[in-house]
Amino acid sequence: MGRSLFLALAAFSALGIPIAFAGSAADPGITPTSIHIGGTTPLTGSAQAFSSVAKGAAAYFKYVNARGGVNKRRIEYEYLDDQYIPSETVRQTRILVQDKNVFAIFNTLGTETNEAIRPYLNEVGVPQLFAASGATSFGRDYRQYPWTIAYQPTYIAEGAMYGNYLRRTMPKAKIAILYQDDSYGNDLIKGLQRGLASKAGNIVSKVGYAATDDSVQSQVARLKSSRASVLMLFSTPKFTIQAYQFVNQLGWKPKIFVNAVSSASNIMVISSSRGQNKRVEGSISIVFLKDPNDPKWNRDPGVLLYRKIMRKYGRGGSIKDVYNLYGMSAAFTFVDALKHAGKSPTRRSVMNAALHLNERNNPFLLPRMSIRTTATERYPIDQARLQRWHNGKWISFGGLLKARS
Amino acid sequence: MTEFAQQVVAGLASGSIYATLALAIVIIYRSTGVVNFAQGELATFTTFIAWTLVDHGVGYWGAFALTVLIAFAGGVALERLVVRPVEGGPVLTVVMLTIGLFILLGGLSNWIWKAEVRSFPPNRPFPTSTWDLGGVAISKQDLGILGVTLGLVVLLYLLFQYTKLGLALRAAALNPAASRLVGVRVGWMLALGWGLAAAIGAVAGLFTAAASPPLDPNMMRPILIYAFAAAVLGGLESPIGAIVGGLALGVLLNLVVTYDTHLHLELDRLRLPIAFLVILTVLLVRPAGLLGRAVVRRV
Amino acid sequence: MSRLATVRGVATALALAAGVVAIFLAPRWVSDIKLAQMGVYFIALLGLNIVTGYTGQISLGHSAFMAIGGYTTAILVVDHGVRDLWTIPLAGLVAGVAGFLVGLPALRLSGLYLALATFGLAVAMPDLLRWDKLESVTKGGQAIQLFNSPALTGKGFENVDLLGHSVTFTRAVDYLTWTVALVLLVVAWLLLRGGPGRAFRAVRDSEVAATSSGVNIAAYKTLAFAISAAYAGIAGSLLVIAVAFADPQSFPAKLSLTLLVGVVVAGLGSLWGVLAGAAFIQFLPDVAVHFSKAQGVPDTVYGAALILIVLVLPTGVAGGAHRILMPLTSRLYTRS
Repeated sequence: MGRSLFLALAAFSALGIPIAFAGSAADPGITPTSIHIGGTTPLTGSAQAFSSVAKGAAAYFKYVNARGGVNKRRIEYEYLDDQYIPSETVRQTRILVQDKNVFAIFNTLGTETNEAIRPYLNEVGVPQLFAASGATSFGRDYRQYPWTIAYQPTYIAEGAMYGNYLRRTMPKAKIAILYQDDSYGNDLIKGLQRGLASKAGNIVSKVGYAATDDSVQSQVARLKSSRASVLMLFSTPKFTIQAYQFVNQLGWKPKIFVNAVSSASNIMVISSSRGQNKRVEGSISIVFLKDPNDPKWNRDPGVLLYRKIMRKYGRGGSIKDVYNLYGMSAAFTFVDALKHAGKSPTRRSVMNAALHLNERNNPFLLPRMSIRTTATERYPIDQARLQRWHNGKWISFGGLLKARS
Repeated sequence: MTEFAQQVVAGLASGSIYATLALAIVIIYRSTGVVNFAQGELATFTTFIAWTLVDHGVGYWGAFALTVLIAFAGGVALERLVVRPVEGGPVLTVVMLTIGLFILLGGLSNWIWKAEVRSFPPNRPFPTSTWDLGGVAISKQDLGILGVTLGLVVLLYLLFQYTKLGLALRAAALNPAASRLVGVRVGWMLALGWGLAAAIGAVAGLFTAAASPPLDPNMMRPILIYAFAAAVLGGLESPIGAIVGGLALGVLLNLVVTYDTHLHLELDRLRLPIAFLVILTVLLVRPAGLLGRAVVRRV
Repeated sequence: MSRLATVRGVATALALAAGVVAIFLAPRWVSDIKLAQMGVYFIALLGLNIVTGYTGQISLGHSAFMAIGGYTTAILVVDHGVRDLWTIPLAGLVAGVAGFLVGLPALRLSGLYLALATFGLAVAMPDLLRWDKLESVTKGGQAIQLFNSPALTGKGFENVDLLGHSVTFTRAVDYLTWTVALVLLVVAWLLLRGGPGRAFRAVRDSEVAATSSGVNIAAYKTLAFAISAAYAGIAGSLLVIAVAFADPQSFPAKLSLTLLVGVVVAGLGSLWGVLAGAAFIQFLPDVAVHFSKAQGVPDTVYGAALILIVLVLPTGVAGGAHRILMPLTSRLYTRS
């Protein structure tokens, strides 16, 4: 039926009848009773552990639909498997946009994946909402790509927070870095250097790995030989777990910083071999979401809501998997944007709403955090706290820091 | 100097795992003439079975032993039910079959156990402590894995060279028709080969999960290529060659990558292409590998 | 005999005409994007069939040739502004040369060894494309965006003017892919019907006998590799045009395995079965998803189906069809 709508539109254009732009029902994917959004996520393949980002969001939308939806519209969220391969993301996204006529692309995961579809979506005027990537480019390059906005704190901002902290508290420490050799890892390094400022020379060793490698044992051995006393783990979960293991096996005792992507509690517990690996103790990371595994949130309404939604709509997903919570947070923000897009939302009005967020009540983010965006400041979440791993738990310290890019 | 030694040690550690999987590949090749592309996925699958056992309360070592037995039985079953019908047929058909198994087992692992990040074993199988030898850290776990690998190859060598069963296995592979004439149950010998290989593969999988966590359905994919390179390097017919090849490859890859800083060839991204180069060079220059016997085909 | 030849000729002409009609009708029921991808598979399978089905050389490395062709197109379009259509034969040429270079050492490898070596090539190719030393050519690990490039027909999103009709970019790509596919099918058919085809089959059936009959084995085996690589290169080129995007991950080793599946499902040595093979590898995952949306189910069904076909129908769809149709056509086989 989407196809016949398209043909009808084509016929109309051919006849030269102007179609009103704003406020018309001409945008595909939206009817009086439903709004159809889509995205891609790695359901299979090397990054499949992140697929919960989509599943958590889907659960949240089901919850919202059960309560009547938004302005009586059900949110139909469809996510396809792109196996974390950018060319597949392009293909699946085109299918979503051209064949399934979705209203917007939401919550697609990955940096290269989102970069691959960004020119196409911007060219055809489809909102690329809340891309699940910390690459600064999604917020910074808005002049070229006005239909794009990301969600989480950028990797550069995160690295800067670590750099800042090191500059203030360990100004003489030598720093070694294990990083994934792509824009994610390189952005974290850039941020670190920015935060270190005059102390950037403290970085004595940087060793990279490819996402397709099987083991980083050799890399960690090389880093150890630099005799640094601080180790930055700018690596994805699999390699972070390995790094902790090899650091331990090599008898090296640096202070470790682990990036947010790999800081989920279940990963830290695995890295510590259920407490046997002492190198994990004292690790530092940043946090912007409430951790469902942390008993301190056990009575928190936001986390209780999360648990309730996961139990009822989560289709067997693990409550311990914090990526589910991330997905819910993004879905909450989408609903927020949709509510502010008017009674008859269009792509333009939803995009506008996403660029004028003033969200203070997101139950899944840390207390007192707010999401604010403008057309030129496209970083929805730009705050975070530092946290330290102690006795099997993350304990945040310090105040809410601005994670500026 | 210590860095050199450390890289060698790390290379031996990763090499033992390549060697173990290569051993499985060699066993099947030697007893059935088939290169089993699914060896890695089979190893992953059986490792997941071990995880399930531990998850249900079985102790790690008990699960280890049980899994090896289950893998053995599974390998025998696979050969009898799925591989037997196409043995002796065109090479391509058998290759296709093992590729089908590769895809099937990968899919099953994903379907049954899903994508969660899990480590296995939950606690280390060997103590995490390390010995420090002049600045070089040698972990007990790596030593343990190397020891078991060497032990396996010794056992297999003894089996093939000094037992009647081993003799029967070799005979069935070399000349099935003649072997039948002297009473060798050729069919069961082939199945035994697969069973042994599956069991060894299970050990390789368990080691991989311990040494290169976490346990996930894709973990053996790169290892398979290194194992192929190791098996080819050592000689597809030689179990000892598989070990030599595996250890040599592990050390070679680490050293090349480490000393690339002098060469400036940016080789640290090229571990897999180097493995491919090894496969290609050996097959072209000396197909029998380092320890295999050169076979002359007369036309 | 001439009656048989006439019937065959008429049947072939009808089939071709039906093919052309099908290309125009199919987008009514199936997504353009999926049809275009099926076309890409079809072309790659045609090529793979030539080297594996006809000369019996197992290649698990065809994803590497697709990568070479795809990257040729990407670089020419983005860096040198060459019109995408002209890059297609160029991609085929470059990949063909690569295939020839691979075919030479392949002469010394047989059966399993060749499978192993070519699999290694397929696995190594993405890393080679990421190699920093080749960055000036391949852009390292970064993606090459053809989108919005003026040299890309329709720039990746605009409607394209096709003989007076305006069609969407994806529809134009679909037509382009299948037109090229049809042309390449005819080329393959002519090739295989004539001298080279006979020589290929002779090589497959018995190298000893072929040499004794004066067939230059080495020349024909390398030729087969080169041609099949050229086909794969063209397929890769069309793939890159379709998604307006090229990066090392677009051509993973798994693609080689998928292609081999397609060629066996088709039935080795048969051109007509290739259509069924391409449809199988394109649409089975879509069908499998209907059994269950859980992860891993498509692959499980895929692998199980492959194993079943290998066990039950080793000559593939074409062989099966042949068996069914043979009684019907036996009357056409005259004795003379």
